[in-house]
Amino acid sequence: MLVEQSVRGWRAARYLLLTLATGMAALPLLPLLVLPPVLGQARRWAEWERGRAHAHIGADYAPLPTSPMPERVAERLRYVLRDPGTWRSIRGLAVHALLGTLVGIVGLLAALGVPSALVKVAVWWAVPVPVTFVGIPAHGWGSALIGGLAEVVGYGALFLWGAPAVVGGYARLTARMLSPSDAELRADRLSERVEELSHTRAEALQAHGAELRRIERDLHDGTQARLVALAMRMGIAERMVADDPEQAVRLLREARGNAEGAMAELRDVIRTMYPPILTDRGLNGAVSALGARCTVPTRVRTEELGALPAAVEAAAYFAIAEALTNAAKHAAATSVDVAIARTGATLRIEVTDDGIGGADDTRGTGISGIRRRVAALDGTASVVSPVGGPTVIRVELPCAS
Amino acid sequence: MRVVIVEDNVVLAEGLKLLLETSGHEAAAVLGDAEGLVEAVDRHAPDIVIVDVRLPPTYRDEGLRAAIQARRARPDLAVLVFSQYVEEVYATELFTDGARGVGYLLKDRVARVDEFLGALDRVAQGGTAVDPEVVHQLLTRRQHPLSRLTSREQEVLALMAEGLGNGEIARRLVVTEGAVHKHIGRIFTKLGLAEGDSGHRRVRAVLAYLGG
Repeated sequence: MLVEQSVRGWRAARYLLLTLATGMAALPLLPLLVLPPVLGQARRWAEWERGRAHAHIGADYAPLPTSPMPERVAERLRYVLRDPGTWRSIRGLAVHALLGTLVGIVGLLAALGVPSALVKVAVWWAVPVPVTFVGIPAHGWGSALIGGLAEVVGYGALFLWGAPAVVGGYARLTARMLSPSDAELRADRLSERVEELSHTRAEALQAHGAELRRIERDLHDGTQARLVALAMRMGIAERMVADDPEQAVRLLREARGNAEGAMAELRDVIRTMYPPILTDRGLNGAVSALGARCTVPTRVRTEELGALPAAVEAAAYFAIAEALTNAAKHAAATSVDVAIARTGATLRIEVTDDGIGGADDTRGTGISGIRRRVAALDGTASVVSPVGGPTVIRVELPCAS
Repeated sequence: MRVVIVEDNVVLAEGLKLLLETSGHEAAAVLGDAEGLVEAVDRHAPDIVIVDVRLPPTYRDEGLRAAIQARRARPDLAVLVFSQYVEEVYATELFTDGARGVGYLLKDRVARVDEFLGALDRVAQGGTAVDPEVVHQLLTRRQHPLSRLTSREQEVLALMAEGLGNGEIARRLVVTEGAVHKHIGRIFTKLGLAEGDSGHRRVRAVLAYLGG
């Protein structure tokens, strides 16, 4: 028990001695904090001190995220001044310089008190100046031994119990003082999230723009052109019908061909925008239809999904369609398992096939297509496909409605 | 033919009516939704009902459901389900209760008036009409039991599924009726359909085809 306590005492003394050293070093540095390089060092010191305090009290320590500094000096200065971490470091340094030095002295006393008392007892009679024990000068061996014993007991108690208590308190204070507050952490997480969202939003806008352009091109080059050709043939046929009915009939037949082509193209365009079966049957029904049509036997496991945003339904549908196509075309699978589930505001999809595996983003556009489409909705897609299989494609889509 | 049309889109309903009337048929009633379907069937006793898949109030597949229900209530009722797009599962659902007097076509098919009227007539007579697009969806299945059929046999079966008779199939494929007969015999053998009533086997072949 005493040994254990001594170890704790020694740890505490070591911590306090280091505190004394840094505290004393910090004192002359305080006025120099106006210099940017010193400020930078202060932040580094604060982080080191924080880590030390956390380690001592046995608390979880996570290094603070360091955001990249702006390039230009003026911007960097503004950034540093606005950062709460800077002010936290300065405040910490000031407290450390004063309070740290004080508790450091306690550490010094705890570490050196007992040895110095013993030395004093050994040499009091040989030195020319009077030696005091507990403030009382020693006059003879009797008073020296009693005084020395009192000092050993006092400093010993300080070493064994006082120092650990002081250091515990000071380490907790340091940890609290130098760690960002919960509100600050929340703000940090929020700003990270905002950055992520603006990124995915930009991607979504880009994907949306590309999609609009594709639809415009399909309608313009295909359907619209065919309708123009159709109207033209009908107009000519109308003029010809009296003079050359045979030719008019030929033109009308061609016009009907144009109309059929336009209808087929229009259907394809609509299908790529939002498959009609999603409207009719919802995601579950549409995926069951996909599974029934897949060339590989497919099992669809699903549950009641509630109302889902149309974009999420469409993305989920296309991801599953793409995964099934992959399983049938490249994986040489003999069975596929599709699972759809919703937990709170997240739609989870898992497509597993028992094929040969080895699928990656570089082979074909299927998987990267899924990824792009899902990322545009702030979702995630992952592919696990070791050579030899099985291949598991997981998609998660946020679906707060 | 007396026809009841269930179609909420006025332009399409008018077009269908025009097409029927110019071809010597009668559009006995045009309904905007499927609610009064059975009642209209009782009142007008049509030879066939043409039903759009998407109808009010929800614009999903109430036309399809209404057609299936109407046929459960009136098994002899000939129904042509008519849609802007086709889905294999819809065909399967539609033909589950039997293929007599059932048709499932893309609206695109009205462009070929003669073929459309032919299909309408066939369904009204108790035959079947399945859109080539559905047939195509079924045939793209690699491991389908029907994959044992040769491509010519598949073509013949596809035309059977569309409801054509041997003579018409022969004309479409530009072969003799005897050749068509032989193909059909081999299809029945490969699908394991026993000898018996040939009309019945025909329906079962088509159902095997549709049901996967």
